[in-house]
Amino acid sequence: MNTADFDYVRNFIRDQSAIVLEPGKEYLVESRLQTLARKENLSSIDVLVSKLRSDSSNGLHRKVVDAMTTNETSFFRDIHPFEALRKFLLPELAARRAQQRQLNFWCGAASTGQEPFSVLMLIAEHFPDLLAWDIKFIATDLCGEALARARCGRFNQLEVNRGLPASLLVKYFVRQGADWEFREDLRQRVDFRELNLIKDWLCLPSPDIVFLRNVLIYFDVETKKSILAKIRRLLRPGGYLLLGGAETTFNVDDAFERAVFEKSTFYRLKQA
Amino acid sequence: MIDLTQLIEQANELAPLPASTVRLAGLIGNPDCHLDDVTELIVFDQALTLKLLRAANSAASASLVRVANVREAVTRMGTAQVLALAVAAGAKRFLQTRLPEYDLDEGVLWRHSVAAAVAAETMQACGSVESPPETFTAALLHDVGKLVMARFLSPEILGFIRRAREVDHLGQLETESLLLGANHAELGGLIAQHWNLPPRVVQGIIYHHNPGEGQDVICDLTYLANQLAKRIEAGLDGRYFDLSILPEVAQRLALTPKTLDNLCPIAAARYTQVSRRYNAV
Repeated sequence: MNTADFDYVRNFIRDQSAIVLEPGKEYLVESRLQTLARKENLSSIDVLVSKLRSDSSNGLHRKVVDAMTTNETSFFRDIHPFEALRKFLLPELAARRAQQRQLNFWCGAASTGQEPFSVLMLIAEHFPDLLAWDIKFIATDLCGEALARARCGRFNQLEVNRGLPASLLVKYFVRQGADWEFREDLRQRVDFRELNLIKDWLCLPSPDIVFLRNVLIYFDVETKKSILAKIRRLLRPGGYLLLGGAETTFNVDDAFERAVFEKSTFYRLKQA
Repeated sequence: MIDLTQLIEQANELAPLPASTVRLAGLIGNPDCHLDDVTELIVFDQALTLKLLRAANSAASASLVRVANVREAVTRMGTAQVLALAVAAGAKRFLQTRLPEYDLDEGVLWRHSVAAAVAAETMQACGSVESPPETFTAALLHDVGKLVMARFLSPEILGFIRRAREVDHLGQLETESLLLGANHAELGGLIAQHWNLPPRVVQGIIYHHNPGEGQDVICDLTYLANQLAKRIEAGLDGRYFDLSILPEVAQRLALTPKTLDNLCPIAAARYTQVSRRYNAV
């Protein structure tokens, strides 16, 4: 891939998604676009990029953004935040909202659905009474292709092997050929929507917990600030934000403070 | 990214392990497993009986008294090693394959696999850690996923992997996950499932590079066996570079730096002896 094509693609990706691709990441762009070029029956990346440059109405731009998003995820990823949810956060929030019997969750980078489904399994296992509450579970992602898969709730054996205990697999999934399908009654509790974090967040209910793990790492400081400011305005009073292990609000948005629960760190707004 | 459906299909196309080995794995993983049940199962499989007796009478046994029957062999070697040898007998032809995509000449993957199994045995024999009986088998098969993954590593993909490692200093596993959407450890777990091996063997294989995520002591032990195997081999040919051991693994297994340092030469000394058992199957 020549420098001009790489610059064109990385600038375009930055404009569309705020994902920063530093020089040196040519290998990543090439490997992702090579696969897309094959899918689109294009002979090379050069041809793909020239098609991108010449016509913005062919849907290819959207596919390039999808191809460049990293959809790495797993069930009960990093396990400790789920332990914290079970032991501390869900009991606390359930007590606080007992009168309204209403809780809102938002997964801001839901990818193919493993994170929201893990939270739902945790609730079904340990707080089954909450399933009778008015729970709004919004799961958003930039990648339409990943969301389409999430809505189906269908996972291959490699995916269910990632973090999902066998006992939960047999309880919450139904075998469909070589794949496994997440139970429909739970799957339908999640509202999957496309959402670009750098654009307007329309019609999102104020969440009690925001899951936004391993997303901010792809953005520059200004974009991180803007996203955290929007979360600050959206978060329900007493609500929590969960970031990835390598992410922090420290020196980015000091309105947040750390809330440590054993081995995991959540963030909440400082008391005025 | 590669086609994960194809990857899974190819893992599921590997020839199965013999039925007696699969039954043996199920039996030995059961805490109520009795020596008589193991013996009875093995004697019904003539080929396996011959291989186990040959292994038991290899130089590794270090005994002048010949092992004449399966019961004696199981008693002498222990059920965990008997399982690992039975699995080795089924998997040997695969593990001896040359994998140029991973820079492995013919026989090198087999030697590394055996070294890991021997390292796992050494940890148990030295009383350093209490191992589940599936540990030697998980150690033996920890890299089996490379067999299938290698088929998908075209020169083009290998080029991307090399550049990713140079630019971002990523490890093999992270690079595979980033560029292919799956890694050889996950694929190895899939093969172990296809071979109907016990869930703990599958766990040990899947998490042999990132044991903290596995939530089972077998993941730490398989990881450690792999690292010790690299140290053993480094003594043989200086092949590997990353010989460090994650401090959190040492902490979870309550191993001091001194214990770890002592383990390595013992495992290396045992390797020469015990590997003959594996080579005899």
